[in-house]
Amino acid sequence: MAKESDNLLVVPPVPAESPLDAPFPSKRMLVNLGPSHPAMHGTVRAVVELDGETIHGMKLDIGFLHRGFEKTCENVTWTQVFPYTDRLNYVSSIMNNVGYAMAVEKLCGLQIPERAQYLRVITSELHRMCDHFTLVSAMGLELGAMTVLIYGMEARDLIWDRLTELCGARLTSNYARVGGVSRDVPEGWGEKVERTLDRAAEMADEIDRLLTRNRIVIDRTRGTGVISRADAIDYGFTGPCLRASGEPYDVRKASPYLVYDRLDFDVPVGTNGDNFDRYLMRMEELKQSDRIVRQCFAQMQPGAIASDDPRFVLPPKPEVYGTIEGAMAHFKIIMEGIKVPAGEAYAYVEAANGELGFYAVSDGGGRPYKLGVRAPGWNMLMALPQIMEGHMLADLIPTFDTVNMIGGEVEQ
Amino acid sequence: MKRFVGMWLVIGAVLVGLVGLFAAFYALAALGARGAVALGFPGFFGSAIVNAVTLMAVTLMTVAALLTVAERKWSAAMQDRIGANRILVLGKFPLGGVPYLLADALKMLTKESIYPAARSKFLFELAPVLAFSPTFALFAVVPVGPEVRALGQTVGMWVANPDAGLLWIFALAGLSVYGTTLAGWASNSRVGMLGAVRASAQMISYEVSLGLSLVGVMIAYRTVNLQAMAIAQGVEVLGPVPALGLLLQPLGFLVFFTSSFAETKRAPFDLPEGESEIVGYFLEYSGMKFGLLFLAEFVEVVILAAVTTAVFLGGWHPVLFEGWLKAHLDPLAFGAVCAASFLAKVILLTWLQLVIRWLLPRFRYDQIQGLCWKLLLPGALVNVFVTAAAVLVDPSLQVLAWIGVVEIVAIFGITMAVSKPKAAHGGHDHGDAHGHAAHAAGH
Repeated sequence: MAKESDNLLVVPPVPAESPLDAPFPSKRMLVNLGPSHPAMHGTVRAVVELDGETIHGMKLDIGFLHRGFEKTCENVTWTQVFPYTDRLNYVSSIMNNVGYAMAVEKLCGLQIPERAQYLRVITSELHRMCDHFTLVSAMGLELGAMTVLIYGMEARDLIWDRLTELCGARLTSNYARVGGVSRDVPEGWGEKVERTLDRAAEMADEIDRLLTRNRIVIDRTRGTGVISRADAIDYGFTGPCLRASGEPYDVRKASPYLVYDRLDFDVPVGTNGDNFDRYLMRMEELKQSDRIVRQCFAQMQPGAIASDDPRFVLPPKPEVYGTIEGAMAHFKIIMEGIKVPAGEAYAYVEAANGELGFYAVSDGGGRPYKLGVRAPGWNMLMALPQIMEGHMLADLIPTFDTVNMIGGEVEQ
Repeated sequence: MKRFVGMWLVIGAVLVGLVGLFAAFYALAALGARGAVALGFPGFFGSAIVNAVTLMAVTLMTVAALLTVAERKWSAAMQDRIGANRILVLGKFPLGGVPYLLADALKMLTKESIYPAARSKFLFELAPVLAFSPTFALFAVVPVGPEVRALGQTVGMWVANPDAGLLWIFALAGLSVYGTTLAGWASNSRVGMLGAVRASAQMISYEVSLGLSLVGVMIAYRTVNLQAMAIAQGVEVLGPVPALGLLLQPLGFLVFFTSSFAETKRAPFDLPEGESEIVGYFLEYSGMKFGLLFLAEFVEVVILAAVTTAVFLGGWHPVLFEGWLKAHLDPLAFGAVCAASFLAKVILLTWLQLVIRWLLPRFRYDQIQGLCWKLLLPGALVNVFVTAAAVLVDPSLQVLAWIGVVEIVAIFGITMAVSKPKAAHGGHDHGDAHGHAAHAAGH
């Protein structure tokens, strides 16, 4: 039987100013939240030191999901890395695919066809919506409003259904390829997506009506989990969390990639950097992503979905089966991997949580020499102890939600 | 349309069934009374014993158990889900999820009880009992139906009718905090301890506003006896409108409803559980001991709805068509109709609690204390003074009724005004107990 006093920290009493101010001896309590805890989604452990219900010191213990992503990638061909990137931020995997593909294409100096760029943007934005729906509904759930969760899940699952039709998987999409994307859209997919977006917008409205003007939600999230603009920049925040603090940095605007410079969308920026602003960022970005997808469908022209450079892209199936050149090219790419020119490149995209960067080094062989990932969730998770210092235990839960730590990308 | 008609048919059938049931209960109580008289005891001994079985063990427990199913089905309806329908009777009929009631009970009873090694052995066993029994015993003084003469005996639809009815309720509601506190403390778990501290702080605070909100009712009806209160609510005060507690004490009703909601420890007041934060004071409990803590919550919901009905919603008065019913039915049938309408009101109130529970997120620990001490308590105090003054001016309750009407109109007006979307965020949400209480206390 463990001794009761093992983990209780006795706080030395404050010297009394007068004999009448008798110091009240107090003890702090260490509480483990996680690794298996209903609010610690994505297996992370938070060791919280509590004085009553106030947090004085907090240690984050990550590594329960560590899979050695970067090392694993050195042992597979450039193409085989794609399924691994799916498991980084598993809520919005296509953006990981796209980011990695862009790093490799930068090394190869490869231009990809316009249609492939549009398809990448469409799927990325759809997955951004999935990510935001997940976050908002999980926040509702953990504040105690479970109904919101179910509404968010309905919208998310509808979008996932459309993505399943496109790439065959709900979660692990594995959609992008070096030089393009893996498949073109099925017949009539565009209209279906627009119907799905209509329904998703309805659900977002429903959530908005339940949460945004709800007194309890405002009380719980306004002024909790605050991080200032300067601190957010120092910690390396990116994405909605940085914008909630008032810094209007969005990779899609700051250095437009793919076709983002042709699309008309707004980037919401907050002022307070608290949980409520971070929540509002997500609600607004849902609408903006909706706009982007509809514009893409309007602008997209028929055409090739992958580059036709035989050094990097698999030949079409009829050629593989019908010609000796095609069969050999297919064999070489599959067995040896594409030969990426030696060098290093860093490509970054605006993922749902912020700037997702891939740093790829090639020695000219068929496998990555080194692959590094800049995961947006990491920086935000590491700021939590500072954000939560002196706040209440109950505030930790919405804060943990709105910084949206995803175990898969934080612990590569 | 077919569904709509079907729904009303089912509701009508249930009501008729309830009337029949309560007629049978009256007859049983009268039989009990006759038996007691035959053995040389006063008649109400026998009827009290029979009522303890029929009302508390049968009616109350059935409603509470059905509430667990209703919660599943109603939350499913609100969330575009189907809800519990996997258990099929005769391989075909889900029966609206009702078989889950038996499955849950069976599961609780047969699950392994796991004991934390460092528990306080006696208190760990005692806590679920302490949480359950005071709440359960609260129902004893609630008058479900009027006094009726049947089989040569005068019997009432209650277990006991002490003169200090409301005080009994306060006393026992205060006791139930021991169960939750001890449950968290005896299991020697830090998280459970946090839940226990939250539970005790919350329940003790809300006990205060709970008590104060009823003082106005006591002043208005000049009694603390619940049966006398129910009779007084049948008296007409504004033309044909009877002196319902809701009419005389709208502010008291809001404060009482909110406080009783907090007493039941359900969302938005479910901080002692706070399943995403600290999981709850019953974290270390398993098997039927957990089941008892779990069921205590549902029983509490039903009982506090019953008390609210008895004090504010006219008790067992059917209110609608009461005069006609009284003139055309024989006394036993009229009593049964009254008792059925009481239960119908209780079910309506529990439904309201379900809706609120599934709509709103939970408060934070300090906010819940702020709501109690800064809004509800001053509101209740204002109510006491206003009521006392009005009764002093006009003992016939006319003035109080008019004040009540003004209050109701004001509360509705303010709620409607602030529930309109504004450009800036930060309005009150409508239909929310907190919002109502806030407006009520504000004017």
